[in-house]
Amino acid sequence: MPDVNMPRLSDTMEEGTITRWLKQPGDKVKKGEVVAEVETDKANMEIESFSAGILEQILVVEGETAPIGQPIAIIGTGANVQQAGAKAAATPQAQQAVAVTAAAPEPASATSTPAPVSNGNQNGLIKSSPLARRMAEEHGIELTQLKGSGPGGRIVRDDIEDYLEQQRTMTAPAPAAAPTPAPVAVPAVKAATPTPVALAEDDEVVSLSSMQKTIARRLTESKQLVPHFYIGNDIDLTDALGMRQKLNASVGEGGVKISVNDLIVKACALALEKFPEVNSSYRDGQFILHKHINIGIAVDVPGGLLVPVIRDANLKGLRTLAREAKALIAKAQAGKLTPTDLDGGTFSISNLGMMDVSDFNAVINPPQSAILAVAASRKTFVPVDNQPVLRDIMHVTLSADHRILYGATVARYLQEVKRLLQNIYLLLG
Amino acid sequence: MAEISFRQALNETLRDELTRDENVFLMGEEIGVFEGSYKITAGLLKEFGPKRVVDTPIAENGFVGMAVGAAMLGLRPVVEIMTFNFIVLAMDEILNHAAKIHYMFGGQTPIPMVIRTPGGGGQQLSATHSQNLETWFAHIPGLHVVAPSNPADAKGMLKTAIRNNNPVIFIEHLGLYNTKGDVPEEDYTIPFGKAKIAREGTDLTVISYSRMASLALEVANRLEQENKWSIEVVDLRSLRPLDKETIVNSVKKTGRAIVFEEDWRSYGIGAEIAATIQEEAFDYLDAPVKRVANVEVPLPYSKPLETAALTGARQLLEAIDELAPRRRRR
Repeated sequence: MPDVNMPRLSDTMEEGTITRWLKQPGDKVKKGEVVAEVETDKANMEIESFSAGILEQILVVEGETAPIGQPIAIIGTGANVQQAGAKAAATPQAQQAVAVTAAAPEPASATSTPAPVSNGNQNGLIKSSPLARRMAEEHGIELTQLKGSGPGGRIVRDDIEDYLEQQRTMTAPAPAAAPTPAPVAVPAVKAATPTPVALAEDDEVVSLSSMQKTIARRLTESKQLVPHFYIGNDIDLTDALGMRQKLNASVGEGGVKISVNDLIVKACALALEKFPEVNSSYRDGQFILHKHINIGIAVDVPGGLLVPVIRDANLKGLRTLAREAKALIAKAQAGKLTPTDLDGGTFSISNLGMMDVSDFNAVINPPQSAILAVAASRKTFVPVDNQPVLRDIMHVTLSADHRILYGATVARYLQEVKRLLQNIYLLLG
Repeated sequence: MAEISFRQALNETLRDELTRDENVFLMGEEIGVFEGSYKITAGLLKEFGPKRVVDTPIAENGFVGMAVGAAMLGLRPVVEIMTFNFIVLAMDEILNHAAKIHYMFGGQTPIPMVIRTPGGGGQQLSATHSQNLETWFAHIPGLHVVAPSNPADAKGMLKTAIRNNNPVIFIEHLGLYNTKGDVPEEDYTIPFGKAKIAREGTDLTVISYSRMASLALEVANRLEQENKWSIEVVDLRSLRPLDKETIVNSVKKTGRAIVFEEDWRSYGIGAEIAATIQEEAFDYLDAPVKRVANVEVPLPYSKPLETAALTGARQLLEAIDELAPRRRRR
């Protein structure tokens, strides 16, 4: 009887939390039908069944977390229907009965997470030692999830123990995926042992969601590993706002309006063409220059923050950028982003302008080397020909990785962003 | 407890047993006046006289046959075959008489005899004088075959062999005669069919016997000192009966096994051990069982070629390097 197993939905995924069961024990399940929704470190995804039958048993209830490969439900003939809540004691079956809606990305070569393929798997035969098979069975591990380190890719005890150790120590998932052009491994950071927080009686303890755990871990890594430095500038947005108004006035029914942020995305992307070193990553004494300019935009979502990516932003027109950004933001807020939407950013923008922020510094999103913090634009008197003139001034701060970026480079890059935004027709090119 | 050589342990044990039981007597080529080619019987002719220490003609088939007859009539002959290589001349007496008479004649006469003989290469004795033929005998039901690796075991097992009512092939090793070890002074026996964990370990099991067991122990100790791997060494001591339980339990613990043997690899002791492991510990195996044995050639006389053909510590180390797990267990 086929199990539905927790699928690997992204290359960094280690575990998933069931957010919702769409089918209940006793329900008929068609092949390809969505049975559950799962929250991974990146996104909420749907799990489809590979087989048809009756959902007999739910092994991982809503809100519970299971490592990839663990059976989460059993689909059968309907003879053994059991109500939800039974613990996952079922023996794992050899087949993986799950497909995913979103195409899982290619395994990143530089991450340490075991890739689900190349375990000597030929003609469906997985090479594994008898001991490894026995251990896998005892621990409910799906051998297809492991990569064998023995001769000819044979899965051996070491691999099972590695996997178990990973399961034990991994409270938060692995580093987020590296950008498409050149994956960059984020070295594991040993966080300083934190002093435990003393609990007052009326304190409420809330477990972090997968996403929150990922954010916590990755930003800790970033602040510990990446020497940040910050450079600010004031940008006069008066002309840009004027142009935006004209563009949006003529947009018509159903058209997409261009936001200030879209203008900033475009300006940053074009400036990156001129300063490729800012569109880069640091890796083990190497400077990796990314060919594609993929801009991540920080999106406020309930219980956290997501950074979907607009690919090749330098090549796209303002309307296209606006349409894509709008779609990504909507998906983010609906919890529908896929790993593909989130992977591969090379530069990020965090915009808190709409919240009337005067200025702030953002934390770099590794392995990227820079992030632009955008504050609100304010009506400010500035001297023009020694006369005070009221202009829309926006403060921006760029956080940069000092291992590969230097003050002058970043200052010039910001000047270019400023030049583009202050000469707004350049963005239309 | 005194530290004595393997040779001395054998000599003293023979003296003990000659003294203890007047039915025990020794036979062999040059064991009396010449005191043995390897001096195992030194002083015994003088002490016990020519009735108890009998020099024989160079006629293995004949005097092994005599020993079988003597055993049938209640004596306890301890025969020395000068080297293992000469035992083939007495094969019919061993295979068809010593091993079968007790069975074929309805249990009327047990055959309480011992054949002591040294095997092993490394002495430049060339192809016909450097062999390890233990497999031939371990294959035969009705025989006991033992091969101790140290003086203390040699003493305890030779006593067991002499007091045992079955024919025993007691295999010595030329390379062990001068090795020393602590030997308890009291009278003790070591039961057959009981392997010894010479050294406990967690990463990998090396199963061996005779001189290779003592070599394996050295290698394992060295690897421990170098903090490389924790090797468990199982010294079989007894090839027939074979202590399957100790082998299987050790492999269940470590998941990986090497059989280290000085015979030829094909159809060797290692083949039997490997088969036993896969039969009884299959689900515990993390890798195929490895055999480290001699190169399958007649042993050369030339020293460099002989060295190349014999297995040894280097070959064992290579095999351990190949087979050891990535993760150490402690």
